[in-house]
Amino acid sequence: MSFAEIKDKVRAGEPLGQGDGVALFQHPNLLELGLLANEVRERLHGQRTYFNRNMHINATNVCVASCRFCSFARLKGGDPGAYTLTLEEAWGRLRTRLEAKDPITEIHIVNGLHDGLPFSYYTDLLSGLKRICPTVHLKAFTAVEIFFFHQHYGMPVAEVLRRLHAAGLDSLPGGGAEIFAPRVRRKLCADKCDADQWLDVHRIAHRMGLRSNCTMLYGHIETVEERVDHLLRLRALQEETGGFQTFIPLAFHPDGNALRRLPPPTGVDDLRTFAVSRLLLHNIAHLKAYWVMLGLKTAQTAQWFGADDLDGTVQEERIYHMAGAETPQSLGVPDLVRLIERAGRVPVERDTLYNILAEGSALLPSQPFRRPSSRALGVSA
Amino acid sequence: MSDRIRLAAVPFLSARPLTYGLEQGLAADRFELTYASPADCARRLSSGEIDLALLPSSRLPSLDRAVDWRVVPRLAVSSEALPVEFANEHTLGPLSGTVGDWRLRTGLPFVSQLWVGRNGAVGADQADLLMQSLEQGLVHLRDLAIAFAEAHGGDPARYENYLMHGLSYRLGSEELSGLGAFLEHLRLAETTSPPARGPTRIRLFEFANLRASPKLAAQPLARKKPVVPGLDALLANAATGGRLSSAEGIHLYEKASLLDLGKAADERRRFLHPRNVVTYIIDRNVNYTNLCVTACKFCNFYRPAKSKDAYTLSRDVLAQKFAETVAMGGIQILLQGGVNPQLRLDYYEDLFRWTKANFPLALHALSPEEVSFIAKQEQLSIREVLARLVAAGLDSLPGGGAEILDDEIRHRVSPLKCSADTWIEVMREAHALGLRTTATMVFGFGETSEHILKHLERLRALQEQTAGFTAFICWPFQAEGTRLRLSDDTTAQRYLRVFSLARLYLDNFPNLQVSWPTMGPAIGQVALRFGGNDFGSAMIEENVVSQAGAVFKLTAEDIEQRVRATGFVPRQRNMRYELLPVRREAILLASATGGVAKSLQAGA
Repeated sequence: MSFAEIKDKVRAGEPLGQGDGVALFQHPNLLELGLLANEVRERLHGQRTYFNRNMHINATNVCVASCRFCSFARLKGGDPGAYTLTLEEAWGRLRTRLEAKDPITEIHIVNGLHDGLPFSYYTDLLSGLKRICPTVHLKAFTAVEIFFFHQHYGMPVAEVLRRLHAAGLDSLPGGGAEIFAPRVRRKLCADKCDADQWLDVHRIAHRMGLRSNCTMLYGHIETVEERVDHLLRLRALQEETGGFQTFIPLAFHPDGNALRRLPPPTGVDDLRTFAVSRLLLHNIAHLKAYWVMLGLKTAQTAQWFGADDLDGTVQEERIYHMAGAETPQSLGVPDLVRLIERAGRVPVERDTLYNILAEGSALLPSQPFRRPSSRALGVSA
Repeated sequence: MSDRIRLAAVPFLSARPLTYGLEQGLAADRFELTYASPADCARRLSSGEIDLALLPSSRLPSLDRAVDWRVVPRLAVSSEALPVEFANEHTLGPLSGTVGDWRLRTGLPFVSQLWVGRNGAVGADQADLLMQSLEQGLVHLRDLAIAFAEAHGGDPARYENYLMHGLSYRLGSEELSGLGAFLEHLRLAETTSPPARGPTRIRLFEFANLRASPKLAAQPLARKKPVVPGLDALLANAATGGRLSSAEGIHLYEKASLLDLGKAADERRRFLHPRNVVTYIIDRNVNYTNLCVTACKFCNFYRPAKSKDAYTLSRDVLAQKFAETVAMGGIQILLQGGVNPQLRLDYYEDLFRWTKANFPLALHALSPEEVSFIAKQEQLSIREVLARLVAAGLDSLPGGGAEILDDEIRHRVSPLKCSADTWIEVMREAHALGLRTTATMVFGFGETSEHILKHLERLRALQEQTAGFTAFICWPFQAEGTRLRLSDDTTAQRYLRVFSLARLYLDNFPNLQVSWPTMGPAIGQVALRFGGNDFGSAMIEENVVSQAGAVFKLTAEDIEQRVRATGFVPRQRNMRYELLPVRREAILLASATGGVAKSLQAGA
């Protein structure tokens, strides 16, 4: 399939197939890809780039899974570096943030698979957060965690979700999808739920009316065909349920994990993956350039290769920083606004469900731009 | 009779396939063909006795630069090495050594002959007839070989083999690049004696029906946004090497979308560097002193004379650094310092002589700022200072300190630095002495589009006269910790925009280096798709931008891996951008000294 034929298909709104996807990943001209993805992006979102005010809580890094790409997990409680927040500590994070007059609209909660906590830890965590701030949106627990709860606590997935929802869960983050191909999962994350199980959790959540995100971890041992297959499986579920809001490509970071001999992500592969994702996932509205993982400069540039979202202010991110991400721990709203404007796009503050909260003059950055200090990050090269 | 096109061709065997059809009577009513020596061909073409000559490329510099010379597209004789008859025919000076290894040294084919005439001398149909002449020749190579052996003696089988396997008769983008590289070599060989003559750029005859290859044609995209009028045409023109005016440059810089700019720059880069090679150098940046009286507001590196942190490196320290550089596979020292009034010309002369006597290292040393300061201090002309430094061992000048070549901006951010005119003057003198130099631009000082274009225009204008710049490098000013309170302009968007515009505007600059030390390796890689063809230096040491918040460091191995991951072939080069033979030991050394990851080559 030639690029011109694929371009015609995209313009005609025809879904692309496996062969098209592979051809796009192999297309030598990065900027032609970018231009086409940008056409789709601007058709969907014009000049807007979305962000939100959020914080991360990683309540524990104790994890029964030993995924080879992970620098975050500690296998047992008591291992050096292992931690589990008490509920008071977790709630305290939110209180601190609110007391700092730094309002947030979303809390993103992702944890290790801890086998020593009661299920009530999670429901109490959610209901406690909602008690402190009833309006905050709780985007919590990847499908991998939900599936682990199902196995560990012996409840059907739907029951796990129902109880968490009752405690305050609003939507699911998209992590843990990695690459669906069994070959890759066997090698990288054999302890994790498989592709069908991951997709099933999202299917059930969508049917319950919960929205969710989806991801792909790329740049390790997967092939181009496996990337395309992954994207098309996400697209198929979306065709069925329509419950995915955002797709987030995640670049594999090699520091501090078992795969550190692999090369670091390349800027060109990052942008190519964004562009191809935008073109293949015609039925998923948003494409997020997660700045914590990509770095600010690549995240900005990705806004021209299909992305329309930059994630949020983010506080307390642990997972990528333990894998060597050299980005700041958080950005202020004025920083994000400025970054988006400097990327040549129009900043729009959204909530988790992409309702527009503020744009234009409502976002005016009255404070001077604070350049994130790279030296303050304790980078160890 | 008078409407026949008068042709002359060199009588070399290698050229015969091109003239075969004409000799056999093809279009005898349209062409009149004679054979003449290379010198005669060039002379008769210049005088207007003939319209078109199949001319050896070495004769191109003898043509009058003022005439709009054009080359017939698609047709040429090229080979992997300099043809033997070619080397005999012409005194090539330093080039005679490349007879055997042209391809190895440049990575490009060698174009030995091509059809040259004044703009308008031939039309599309005549060009087609010349192509037909070649096509007939290609099916009669054996006849040509036999006829040549009968006339001149020798083995017809050998001749046939040479015609069949030793030569190629196409003029594509690779061949054009090879031709450009050859002319560059000729210019270099001549810089010291007569000033360079001949066309500085190879332009093809343009025919309505051949005008743009489909790739370059304006995009028939059904766009949603109203397109700014003329942008596509401007970009397509610039992508094929057409010259942009300042106003057009400003228009593109302000109006073209990032990706359109990048795509045109990428096309231009592919035309100039079709071999998919991205070069880098292993050298060491040694800042011999940080004592500086210039006190630029954007600088974190310098110390005033009374500061207790001010230093000038001792010979012992330098010796150690230089020896390490050699041990790590470095071939050059980039020597730059503060503007230190305690150091006089004889300090530099001694330092250079000592370096050359003790280390196999090229000296890429002293920016125009330092040179002009020494001249002032010694009450000598810039040329005298440079001549003495060259005599002491200086090989080339780095293009630093250019910042923005506009005195309004310079007064604001570096009031004590040399003027824009002085910077250009130092470079002009250096080029006149046969030194090659780089050129830089630092942006983000609150300058306008006009300032940026003015800077590029000054560089392009000087390059037009001297052809002495090897490469252009730009980066955003790094604000952290400096005394300048300016808006932060280090975003990738601005960098890629300036960078790709520079690739298009600086049509006479062969190389554009990406600035990963300031932008990070990821954006450095991306910039290779926005017009860049050089990944800079495997930095053994750098002190200036790293004092202002840039923290990136890459070894030669890291660079090779990152270049390969972007789809290019990494090759080590020297300052003149000549490719060095592939050296495994450099890679091994880098990994032995603990590069980020050792098994990268396997993964790429």
